[in-house]
Amino acid sequence: MALSRGTAKLIFFLGTLSSLILFLILTVDTHRQVKVLTHAENLSDQVVQGKHVWQKYNCNDCHTILGFGGYYAPDMTKVYQRIGKEGIQQAVKKPEVAFANGWRKMPQQNVQDQEVENLVAFLKWVSEIDTHDWPPQDSKKVASRAAIRMVAAAGVSPGAALFKEKGCFNCHKLGGVGGAAGPAMEGVGKKYDLKKLAQYIMDPVSVDAKSKMPKQDVAPDQAQQIAQFLADLR
Amino acid sequence: MQYSSQKVAYPYFALALLLFVLQVLMGLWLAVNYFAALPQGLIDVFPFATARAMHTNLLVLWLLLGFMGGTYYLLPEETKSELHSPKLAYLLFVIFALTGVVALVGFLFGWNQGRPLLEIPTALDIVVVIGVLLFLYNVGMTMIKAKRWTAIQATLLGGLVFLAVLYLFGIPFYRNLTIDWYYWWWVVHLWVEGAWELVTAAIFAWVLMKLTGVERGVVEKWLYVEIGLFLFTGIAGTGHHYYWLGAPRYWLWIGGIFSALEPLPILLMVIDTMRHVKDRKLEMKGHIVWTYAVGGAFFHLLGAGLWGFAHTLPQVNYYTHGSQVTVSHGHLAFFGAYAMLNLMVFYYAMPRLRGIEEQAEGRGKFGFWTMVSAMFCLGLAFGVAGVLQSYLERVLRLGFMPAQDQMRLWFVVAFFCGVGFLIGLLVTVYDLFFPKPLAEKAKGKAALAKAVA
Repeated sequence: MALSRGTAKLIFFLGTLSSLILFLILTVDTHRQVKVLTHAENLSDQVVQGKHVWQKYNCNDCHTILGFGGYYAPDMTKVYQRIGKEGIQQAVKKPEVAFANGWRKMPQQNVQDQEVENLVAFLKWVSEIDTHDWPPQDSKKVASRAAIRMVAAAGVSPGAALFKEKGCFNCHKLGGVGGAAGPAMEGVGKKYDLKKLAQYIMDPVSVDAKSKMPKQDVAPDQAQQIAQFLADLR
Repeated sequence: MQYSSQKVAYPYFALALLLFVLQVLMGLWLAVNYFAALPQGLIDVFPFATARAMHTNLLVLWLLLGFMGGTYYLLPEETKSELHSPKLAYLLFVIFALTGVVALVGFLFGWNQGRPLLEIPTALDIVVVIGVLLFLYNVGMTMIKAKRWTAIQATLLGGLVFLAVLYLFGIPFYRNLTIDWYYWWWVVHLWVEGAWELVTAAIFAWVLMKLTGVERGVVEKWLYVEIGLFLFTGIAGTGHHYYWLGAPRYWLWIGGIFSALEPLPILLMVIDTMRHVKDRKLEMKGHIVWTYAVGGAFFHLLGAGLWGFAHTLPQVNYYTHGSQVTVSHGHLAFFGAYAMLNLMVFYYAMPRLRGIEEQAEGRGKFGFWTMVSAMFCLGLAFGVAGVLQSYLERVLRLGFMPAQDQMRLWFVVAFFCGVGFLIGLLVTVYDLFFPKPLAEKAKGKAALAKAVA
């Protein structure tokens, strides 16, 4: 091919420099916008201490966060919204109990109480980063779309759709599908009545003092609908 | 071997190979973690995270040792002079080897910075930086003293300096997680899709030139175009890691467009390799090096180019980001682009360093094909697991562990692919450590066949 050495050099310099300049300009702009997108005003010393804890115990080589890291365990970007403070505390402090029924386990690292507090603050801050609605499994938008489709397609009860949308399957099995951290949901309607079930979802310990389930972030009418669905599972 | 200081490359190659074996053993253990139910007591003392840190750091360490060894081997022949200081090269070998050992043992005791791939603690970072500066000094002085500048030398030195500068961005503690990952990718992405591509393009061009006898002018001309395209697509292409980390939305456009172009320079490299092979001016000697050169170019295109492209568009990446799809791409890309290049260099240099001009190729070919097939199957197994995960966890929203239940079989498959790979690797390592010279009879036969033709 008739390409002169001079042209080849020109391609090299033009290609490299144009890409580099674009990249550096956008880096400066990103720094400016990240302050807003990550709510930098909430980035307190406790959050930073929590990040130190996150790094100290090498959490990131099993868990992804913002989708980066080890793929061995669930993504932690929205974990605060998923299982809340109590859920995180329980998993970190007593992993041997929290994951006793599962086939994949989490190490007991003897994390101090104060460290757990800081870690929770860090994960709460992370859960508020604007990630353009990633990850899909925790996205409210994707969830409500999926729920609407499900209700419309099969005439499923709204409670069943909520059961899925709120991530109950993460811990509970139903029809052989779901996690092993909590009990399977078959027959739960025999154990508790409608009112007890709704109360259990919002505040587990008030119904069963020995419950290991964290409080769920659902509105009372939503809890009622989920309870209606579960009460029918006799 | 034409210069005695080329000998310093040998320990670098030897250690790199041993670490490669260790890396694969650790990988097998990770696969077991993925499918087996291990007891809590074992998890508490040797968690997955520690094993993963070892697996990935071993990879980086052996590849870098390979690059350094390759540089030391190539430099005297390319500059037509001895290395500036062979003693310094040996000293640095000891320093890097010790740093590696301390880092790996440290991981077992939790001496760890807790950032994937950049786990080694700051104290060791400083040792690495000093070591790399001395390495660059040794390389730079050799080039300056020789005063025989070539495009290959410039690319190599440019790539090594770029590599060292980028490492600095991985050292500080960042308060903001988003900024942390932003600069983490300056090390990881701009290494593998920038600096390392420069280093390997230079080494690859040099070996091709030596093998084929194609004129320097032609080889170097295409080298300019290749690295120009690599950097054009690779630098702004970093944006494909900035889709979901809390950065502005324009990265979806920048990342999507530039990284869609990333296979182009690799494709050019494949075409270029095939053309140089066709236009060769020299007799085809040392078949196994040729096999690695051509095979490596193709696997580079497959693993880095096509597999990367498959999930780089934001619409796809939304569902595949941080899943086993990434694992599949990571394995195929690192093997195709960097492991195979290093093995090609080892096959070129190690027999020559022991005075063997041409090596018998039976074992080498067996190792090559076993590793290539096993790695391809490994990529497929992780790929199937990744597609399952994307669909079950992210589209159907079944939760993380319920999705892993369905993927379990594919981790067993991955384990057996890994065993196959280990067999190929062990044969290859043996073949490199104890090269068998091509028998006189075989040489005679080849000459006869040529005469008849």
